[in-house]
Amino acid sequence: MDASVLIEQNNQKRKLLNEENKKVYEEMLLYVRLFFNKSEQESEEILMELLDHLLDAQGEGKSAKEVFGDDPRQYANEIIGELPKMITPKRVKVGLMAIFYFLAVTTFLNGVVHSILYFGFGKGDQEKIYYIGTLALEAITSIIIVFVAMYAIFAYLKWSCFKDINKVLESVLFGFCFGALPFGLFLTMFIIMPDFGMSVQIPVYWLIGISIVFYVLATYFKKTS
Amino acid sequence: MNLAIRSQLLKGILEGCILAIISKESIYGYELAMKLQSQGIDVSEGSIYPILLRLQKEELIKGKMKKSPHGPNRKYYHLTDQGKTALTEFKTQWNGLKTPVDQLLKGEE
Repeated sequence: MDASVLIEQNNQKRKLLNEENKKVYEEMLLYVRLFFNKSEQESEEILMELLDHLLDAQGEGKSAKEVFGDDPRQYANEIIGELPKMITPKRVKVGLMAIFYFLAVTTFLNGVVHSILYFGFGKGDQEKIYYIGTLALEAITSIIIVFVAMYAIFAYLKWSCFKDINKVLESVLFGFCFGALPFGLFLTMFIIMPDFGMSVQIPVYWLIGISIVFYVLATYFKKTS
Repeated sequence: MNLAIRSQLLKGILEGCILAIISKESIYGYELAMKLQSQGIDVSEGSIYPILLRLQKEELIKGKMKKSPHGPNRKYYHLTDQGKTALTEFKTQWNGLKTPVDQLLKGEE
Protein backbone atom coordinates (compact mmCIF):
# COMPACT_ATOMS: atom_id res chain seq x y z
CA MET A 1 0.00 0.00 0.00
CA ASP A 2 1.19 3.48 -0.87
CA ALA A 3 2.62 5.69 1.89
CA SER A 4 0.06 8.44 1.20
CA VAL A 5 -2.80 5.93 1.57
CA LEU A 6 -1.31 4.71 4.85
CA ILE A 7 -1.04 8.27 6.14
CA GLU A 8 -4.69 8.91 5.34
CA GLN A 9 -5.77 5.66 7.02
CA ASN A 10 -3.62 6.52 9.99
CA ASN A 11 -5.36 9.90 10.34
CA GLN A 12 -8.73 8.17 10.44
CA LYS A 13 -7.80 5.30 12.74
CA ARG A 14 -5.99 7.50 15.22
CA LYS A 15 -9.30 9.05 16.21
CA LEU A 16 -10.23 5.76 17.84
CA LEU A 17 -7.49 6.09 20.47
CA ASN A 18 -8.35 7.38 23.92
CA GLU A 19 -6.82 10.63 25.17
CA GLU A 20 -3.89 9.12 27.00
CA ASN A 21 -2.90 6.63 24.32
CA LYS A 22 -3.36 9.21 21.61
CA LYS A 23 -0.94 11.57 23.32
CA VAL A 24 1.81 8.96 23.48
CA TYR A 25 1.14 7.63 19.99
CA GLU A 26 1.07 11.03 18.32
CA GLU A 27 4.35 12.06 19.89
CA MET A 28 5.86 8.88 18.54
CA LEU A 29 4.30 9.44 15.14
CA LEU A 30 5.76 12.94 14.91
CA TYR A 31 9.13 11.77 16.15
CA VAL A 32 9.43 8.93 13.64
CA ARG A 33 8.26 11.13 10.76
CA LEU A 34 10.88 13.75 11.63
CA PHE A 35 13.56 11.32 10.48
CA PHE A 36 12.82 12.16 6.87
CA ASN A 37 16.03 10.48 5.68
CA LYS A 38 14.35 7.14 6.39
CA SER A 39 12.23 5.33 3.84
CA GLU A 40 8.77 6.88 4.05
CA GLN A 41 7.06 3.70 2.95
CA GLU A 42 8.65 1.59 5.68
CA SER A 43 8.13 4.31 8.30
CA GLU A 44 4.42 4.55 7.54
CA GLU A 45 4.04 0.76 7.50
CA ILE A 46 5.51 0.33 10.96
CA LEU A 47 3.56 3.33 12.29
CA MET A 48 0.37 1.69 11.05
CA GLU A 49 1.32 -1.62 12.65
CA LEU A 50 2.01 0.09 15.95
CA LEU A 51 -1.33 1.89 15.74
CA ASP A 52 -3.19 -1.35 15.02
CA HIS A 53 -1.41 -2.98 17.92
CA LEU A 54 -2.20 -0.12 20.26
CA LEU A 55 -5.87 -0.21 19.25
CA ASP A 56 -6.02 -3.95 19.95
CA ALA A 57 -4.31 -3.41 23.30
CA GLN A 58 -6.64 -0.54 24.15
CA GLY A 59 -9.57 -2.85 23.47
CA GLU A 60 -8.24 -5.03 26.26
CA GLY A 61 -7.79 -2.11 28.61
CA LYS A 62 -4.04 -1.80 28.22
CA SER A 63 -2.22 1.53 28.05
CA ALA A 64 0.38 2.83 25.61
CA LYS A 65 2.95 2.58 28.40
CA GLU A 66 2.33 -1.13 28.70
CA VAL A 67 2.80 -1.60 24.97
CA PHE A 68 5.77 0.69 24.28
CA GLY A 69 7.45 0.60 27.68
CA ASP A 70 8.17 3.42 30.11
CA ASP A 71 10.47 5.29 27.77
CA PRO A 72 8.69 5.94 24.46
CA ARG A 73 11.60 7.99 23.07
CA GLN A 74 14.02 5.14 23.62
CA TYR A 75 11.49 2.77 22.06
CA ALA A 76 11.02 5.02 19.02
CA ASN A 77 14.81 5.23 18.65
CA GLU A 78 14.98 1.45 18.51
CA ILE A 79 12.36 1.40 15.77
CA ILE A 80 14.10 4.17 13.81
CA GLY A 81 17.44 2.39 14.16
CA GLU A 82 15.99 -0.57 12.29
CA LEU A 83 14.30 1.41 9.51
CA PRO A 84 16.07 1.38 6.14
CA LYS A 85 17.40 4.69 4.83
CA MET A 86 15.83 6.49 1.93
CA ILE A 87 17.70 5.46 -1.23
CA THR A 88 20.20 8.01 -2.56
CA PRO A 89 18.62 8.83 -5.97
CA LYS A 90 15.39 9.53 -4.16
CA ARG A 91 17.18 11.76 -1.66
CA VAL A 92 18.77 13.79 -4.43
CA LYS A 93 15.39 14.23 -6.11
CA VAL A 94 13.69 15.25 -2.88
CA GLY A 95 16.48 17.79 -2.32
CA LEU A 96 16.12 19.20 -5.84
CA MET A 97 12.37 19.30 -5.40
CA ALA A 98 12.76 21.39 -2.24
CA ILE A 99 15.25 23.74 -3.93
CA PHE A 100 13.05 24.35 -6.97
CA TYR A 101 9.91 24.85 -4.88
CA PHE A 102 11.81 27.43 -2.86
CA LEU A 103 13.08 29.19 -6.00
CA ALA A 104 9.58 29.06 -7.53
CA VAL A 105 7.98 30.70 -4.50
CA THR A 106 10.60 33.43 -4.10
CA THR A 107 10.69 34.29 -7.83
CA PHE A 108 6.90 34.27 -7.99
CA LEU A 109 6.53 36.59 -4.99
CA ASN A 110 9.21 38.91 -6.39
CA GLY A 111 7.48 39.04 -9.77
CA VAL A 112 4.03 39.64 -8.30
CA VAL A 113 5.16 42.31 -5.84
CA HIS A 114 7.15 44.27 -8.47
CA SER A 115 4.40 43.92 -11.06
CA ILE A 116 1.73 45.18 -8.65
CA LEU A 117 3.97 48.04 -7.56
CA TYR A 118 4.64 49.12 -11.12
CA PHE A 119 1.32 48.48 -12.86
CA GLY A 120 -0.92 49.18 -9.90
CA PHE A 121 0.83 52.06 -8.21
CA GLY A 122 3.31 53.31 -10.77
CA LYS A 123 6.20 52.65 -8.41
CA GLY A 124 9.53 51.08 -9.35
CA ASP A 125 10.54 50.16 -12.88
CA GLN A 126 8.90 48.05 -15.51
CA GLU A 127 12.23 46.49 -16.26
CA LYS A 128 14.92 45.59 -13.82
CA ILE A 129 18.58 44.86 -14.29
CA TYR A 130 19.77 41.58 -12.86
CA TYR A 131 23.36 40.46 -12.54
CA ILE A 132 23.80 36.77 -13.20
CA GLY A 133 26.72 36.36 -10.79
CA THR A 134 24.90 38.18 -8.00
CA LEU A 135 21.70 36.21 -8.63
CA ALA A 136 23.48 32.87 -8.55
CA LEU A 137 25.34 33.69 -5.35
CA GLU A 138 22.16 35.01 -3.72
CA ALA A 139 20.26 31.91 -4.70
CA ILE A 140 22.94 29.60 -3.30
CA THR A 141 23.24 31.59 -0.07
CA SER A 142 19.45 31.64 0.37
CA ILE A 143 19.22 27.91 -0.15
CA ILE A 144 21.92 27.36 2.44
CA ILE A 145 20.13 29.63 4.94
CA VAL A 146 16.85 27.79 4.36
CA PHE A 147 18.47 24.38 4.73
CA VAL A 148 20.24 25.36 7.93
CA ALA A 149 16.99 26.80 9.31
CA MET A 150 15.07 23.63 8.35
CA TYR A 151 17.75 21.46 9.86
CA ALA A 152 17.55 23.48 13.07
CA ILE A 153 13.75 23.15 13.15
CA PHE A 154 13.95 19.39 12.73
CA ALA A 155 16.65 19.08 15.36
CA TYR A 156 14.60 21.16 17.76
CA LEU A 157 11.41 19.20 17.10
CA LYS A 158 13.23 15.91 17.66
CA TRP A 159 14.60 17.22 20.91
CA SER A 160 11.24 18.55 22.08
CA CYS A 161 9.30 15.34 21.39
CA PHE A 162 8.08 13.51 24.50
CA LYS A 163 8.68 16.61 26.60
CA ASP A 164 6.11 18.98 28.06
CA ILE A 165 7.29 22.34 26.88
CA ASN A 166 5.79 25.74 27.55
CA LYS A 167 3.94 26.51 24.31
CA VAL A 168 4.22 30.31 24.59
CA LEU A 169 7.95 30.24 25.18
CA GLU A 170 8.24 27.75 22.35
CA SER A 171 6.46 29.91 19.80
CA VAL A 172 8.50 32.98 20.77
CA LEU A 173 11.73 31.02 20.36
CA PHE A 174 10.50 29.51 17.12
CA GLY A 175 9.48 32.87 15.73
CA PHE A 176 12.89 34.31 16.46
CA CYS A 177 15.13 31.44 15.40
CA PHE A 178 13.23 30.38 12.32
CA GLY A 179 11.49 33.61 11.29
CA ALA A 180 13.30 36.76 12.32
CA LEU A 181 16.83 35.40 12.19
CA PRO A 182 16.75 33.95 8.64
CA PHE A 183 14.80 37.02 7.47
CA GLY A 184 17.49 39.29 8.89
CA LEU A 185 20.14 37.20 7.18
CA PHE A 186 18.32 37.44 3.84
CA LEU A 187 18.01 41.19 4.18
CA THR A 188 21.68 41.63 5.09
CA MET A 189 22.66 39.45 2.16
CA PHE A 190 20.66 41.46 -0.36
CA ILE A 191 22.09 44.71 0.95
CA ILE A 192 25.75 43.76 1.08
CA MET A 193 25.88 41.62 -2.06
CA PRO A 194 27.89 43.46 -4.76
CA ASP A 195 26.75 43.48 -8.41
CA PHE A 196 28.87 41.25 -10.57
CA GLY A 197 28.67 38.97 -13.58
CA MET A 198 26.77 39.46 -16.81
CA SER A 199 23.76 41.78 -16.58
CA VAL A 200 20.35 41.19 -18.10
CA GLN A 201 17.44 43.55 -18.27
CA ILE A 202 14.02 41.93 -18.11
CA PRO A 203 10.44 43.12 -17.47
CA VAL A 204 9.44 42.33 -13.87
CA TYR A 205 6.45 40.20 -14.90
CA TRP A 206 8.84 37.78 -16.61
CA LEU A 207 9.72 36.63 -13.13
CA ILE A 208 6.27 35.07 -12.86
CA GLY A 209 6.96 33.10 -16.03
CA ILE A 210 10.36 32.00 -14.68
CA SER A 211 8.76 30.91 -11.41
CA ILE A 212 6.39 28.66 -13.37
CA VAL A 213 9.40 26.97 -14.97
CA PHE A 214 10.86 26.36 -11.49
CA TYR A 215 7.50 25.06 -10.32
CA VAL A 216 7.25 22.62 -13.21
CA LEU A 217 10.78 21.37 -12.48
CA ALA A 218 9.94 20.94 -8.78
CA THR A 219 6.78 19.00 -9.64
CA TYR A 220 8.78 16.82 -12.01
CA PHE A 221 11.27 15.91 -9.24
CA LYS A 222 8.41 15.31 -6.82
CA LYS A 223 6.63 12.95 -9.19
CA THR A 224 9.72 10.95 -10.13
CA SER A 225 11.12 10.67 -6.63
CA MET B 1 24.89 -8.82 34.52
CA ASN B 2 25.84 -5.93 32.28
CA LEU B 3 22.64 -4.50 30.83
CA ALA B 4 23.96 -4.43 27.27
CA ILE B 5 25.04 -8.07 27.35
CA ARG B 6 21.79 -9.11 28.93
CA SER B 7 19.72 -7.33 26.31
CA GLN B 8 21.87 -8.77 23.50
CA LEU B 9 21.33 -12.24 24.88
CA LEU B 10 17.61 -11.66 25.23
CA LYS B 11 17.32 -10.22 21.75
CA GLY B 12 18.98 -13.23 20.18
CA ILE B 13 16.74 -15.64 22.02
CA LEU B 14 13.66 -13.57 21.31
CA GLU B 15 14.55 -13.55 17.62
CA GLY B 16 14.72 -17.32 17.66
CA CYS B 17 11.37 -17.60 19.43
CA ILE B 18 9.73 -15.24 16.96
CA LEU B 19 11.09 -17.23 14.02
CA ALA B 20 9.75 -20.41 15.64
CA ILE B 21 6.26 -18.97 16.08
CA ILE B 22 6.12 -17.52 12.56
CA SER B 23 7.29 -20.85 11.11
CA LYS B 24 4.13 -22.52 12.40
CA GLU B 25 1.65 -20.08 10.86
CA SER B 26 1.65 -16.66 9.27
CA ILE B 27 0.74 -14.21 11.95
CA TYR B 28 0.43 -10.45 12.59
CA GLY B 29 2.11 -8.37 15.28
CA TYR B 30 -0.51 -8.36 17.98
CA GLU B 31 -1.16 -12.11 17.70
CA LEU B 32 2.57 -12.71 17.87
CA ALA B 33 2.93 -10.65 21.05
CA MET B 34 0.03 -12.57 22.62
CA LYS B 35 1.56 -15.92 21.65
CA LEU B 36 4.87 -14.97 23.24
CA GLN B 37 3.15 -13.90 26.42
CA SER B 38 1.01 -17.01 26.59
CA GLN B 39 4.24 -19.01 26.34
CA GLY B 40 5.37 -17.20 29.44
CA ILE B 41 8.00 -15.13 27.65
CA ASP B 42 7.68 -11.89 29.51
CA VAL B 43 8.70 -9.03 27.24
CA SER B 44 6.93 -5.76 26.67
CA GLU B 45 4.60 -6.14 23.70
CA GLY B 46 6.19 -3.40 21.66
CA SER B 47 9.64 -4.95 21.78
CA ILE B 48 8.73 -7.36 18.99
CA TYR B 49 8.51 -4.60 16.38
CA PRO B 50 12.18 -3.56 16.23
CA ILE B 51 12.95 -7.27 15.95
CA LEU B 52 10.38 -7.78 13.19
CA LEU B 53 11.94 -4.87 11.29
CA ARG B 54 15.41 -6.36 11.66
CA LEU B 55 14.29 -9.81 10.57
CA GLN B 56 12.67 -8.26 7.50
CA LYS B 57 15.86 -6.37 6.69
CA GLU B 58 17.81 -9.60 6.94
CA GLU B 59 15.16 -11.18 4.69
CA LEU B 60 14.40 -13.93 7.19
CA ILE B 61 10.72 -13.00 7.23
CA LYS B 62 8.39 -11.19 4.89
CA GLY B 63 5.27 -9.18 5.66
CA LYS B 64 2.18 -9.10 3.51
CA MET B 65 -0.95 -7.03 3.91
CA LYS B 66 -3.99 -9.29 4.22
CA LYS B 67 -7.53 -8.92 5.33
CA SER B 68 -7.92 -10.28 8.84
CA PRO B 69 -11.11 -12.22 9.68
CA HIS B 70 -12.24 -9.47 12.01
CA GLY B 71 -11.63 -5.89 11.06
CA PRO B 72 -8.83 -4.08 9.28
CA ASN B 73 -6.00 -5.16 7.00
CA ARG B 74 -3.06 -6.58 8.88
CA LYS B 75 0.53 -7.22 8.00
CA TYR B 76 0.95 -10.99 8.22
CA TYR B 77 4.46 -12.35 8.50
CA HIS B 78 5.80 -15.57 7.05
CA LEU B 79 9.23 -17.18 7.00
CA THR B 80 11.41 -17.01 3.90
CA ASP B 81 13.71 -19.88 2.91
CA GLN B 82 16.57 -18.01 4.55
CA GLY B 83 14.40 -17.68 7.63
CA LYS B 84 13.87 -21.42 7.76
CA THR B 85 17.63 -21.97 7.60
CA ALA B 86 18.17 -19.39 10.33
CA LEU B 87 15.60 -21.13 12.54
CA THR B 88 17.34 -24.49 12.10
CA GLU B 89 20.64 -22.85 13.02
CA PHE B 90 19.07 -21.25 16.07
CA LYS B 91 17.67 -24.61 17.20
CA THR B 92 21.10 -26.24 16.90
CA GLN B 93 22.81 -23.42 18.76
CA TRP B 94 20.16 -23.35 21.46
CA ASN B 95 20.28 -27.10 22.02
CA GLY B 96 24.05 -26.97 22.14
CA LEU B 97 23.91 -24.27 24.79
CA LYS B 98 20.90 -25.32 26.82
CA THR B 99 22.17 -28.61 28.27
CA PRO B 100 25.64 -27.42 29.32
CA VAL B 101 24.21 -24.24 30.88
CA ASP B 102 21.53 -26.21 32.72
CA GLN B 103 24.12 -28.62 34.06
CA LEU B 104 26.44 -25.83 35.04
CA LEU B 105 23.69 -24.05 36.95
CA LYS B 106 22.60 -27.27 38.66
CA GLY B 107 26.12 -27.79 39.87
CA GLU B 108 26.10 -24.31 41.40
CA GLU B 109 23.20 -25.03 43.76
